Amino acid sequence: MSHLESMLLELKDTSEIMVDLAYSSLLYDNTEIAEEVVTLSGNLDELANHIQDEAISLGQANPADVARVVVISRLQASIMDIAGAAEHIADVVLRGLAEHPVLAMSIRDADTTICLAKVAPDSVLAGKTFGEISLSTRCGMFVIAIRRDKDYIFGPGRNNRMEAGDILIARGPEEGEGYFKDLADGTEKEL
Amino acid sequence: MSDDENDVSGLNHVDMSVRELLTEMKDTSEVITDLAYASLMYNSQPMADKVRGLEKDMDDLKYSIRYKVLMSCRTREDARQLSGLLEVASAADRISDAASEIVGLLNLPAERRPFISEMLSESGEKIRILRVKPQSDMIGNTIKKLAVEASTGCKIIALRNRHGWTYDPDDEQKIHAADDLIVRGTDEGADRLSQFTEGQEKWEFPDPIDEEDAEEDADDEESIEQELRGDEEE
Repeated sequence: MSHLESMLLELKDTSEIMVDLAYSSLLYDNTEIAEEVVTLSGNLDELANHIQDEAISLGQANPADVARVVVISRLQASIMDIAGAAEHIADVVLRGLAEHPVLAMSIRDADTTICLAKVAPDSVLAGKTFGEISLSTRCGMFVIAIRRDKDYIFGPGRNNRMEAGDILIARGPEEGEGYFKDLADGTEKEL
Repeated sequence: MSDDENDVSGLNHVDMSVRELLTEMKDTSEVITDLAYASLMYNSQPMADKVRGLEKDMDDLKYSIRYKVLMSCRTREDARQLSGLLEVASAADRISDAASEIVGLLNLPAERRPFISEMLSESGEKIRILRVKPQSDMIGNTIKKLAVEASTGCKIIALRNRHGWTYDPDDEQKIHAADDLIVRGTDEGADRLSQFTEGQEKWEFPDPIDEEDAEEDADDEESIEQELRGDEEE
């Protein structure tokens, strides 16, 4: 994959994390998560500029690639629209307009729901990385943010470790919630 | 224009509640992006048509939710809170518009975009196609009973059986031998699911959701939520 394409992929993956984070900020009426969405949006603007610059040079160097540049630009614009929608959702939270109870209810009712779990000291998750325990493969739940003491870890990767006391914010199917919460609170020991 | 003030024939879904409408919009905004990328991945015009269909549904939902919200608004406080709710509905609609733009790329000659499939196959959550082998014990069960996503982390976004393709299949959809499943998930999850579709591993049927446990979990969640909120205010 070329540098340009890997940047575009990062743009896509980030836009998806932003949507997940935006809905969680809405569900928990949480301004810190909403602010992260705004920060990510700023990062994406920069990334989009890099993509634009590189795409232009590519087209200038090789006219045969201009068609590809057009495809990249169009896809980039759509991805940025999705990121923009996430930012709009976060903005509702930042304006203090996320109080209506139907907002939280709709997110909980949706096919893909969002939930919280706290890692107990005797949980099998405590001290393990996401790479070691693939939560999504076991219960369909994706951890999108971790609250540790006063800080957040957004979009944790394979090498991030879960610690006792962490609050995990995860998204996934309703059927996966129970097992996920049991793993976190230590009632389920079997992976 | 109709004289009948009760005529809402220009609006679909007005029988749904605001809560149902917003839930539907959120669900649609998620499934539509998966389908949009999958249509690029497999160069599928029918899948792109489904995306455009969903986008139209989304427009209907958007007007209905506006109508319902405006009808229910009685006080300044209602108006304040509902303005936020309507913005969220618009955001879901924006996502579906973007998905519809994405499938528009299919109208460009395929040779201009071979890199897109390659790029998408490097994504954290990938789209893959799996065939259900005759020896798989998934056969005869519904997606709901199998709880496919909870068991493997893979979401079935499209399914092909002898009747043709079904996009965003219903939970009650049964899996049959020789079905093709387009799934979205991590590599690890898709590898696990393929063990089941190939019949190499026996499906572990999840226990149905226990109402009591679910209630307990909800109580726990409430206290964790307070913790999340409480610390914030210090």
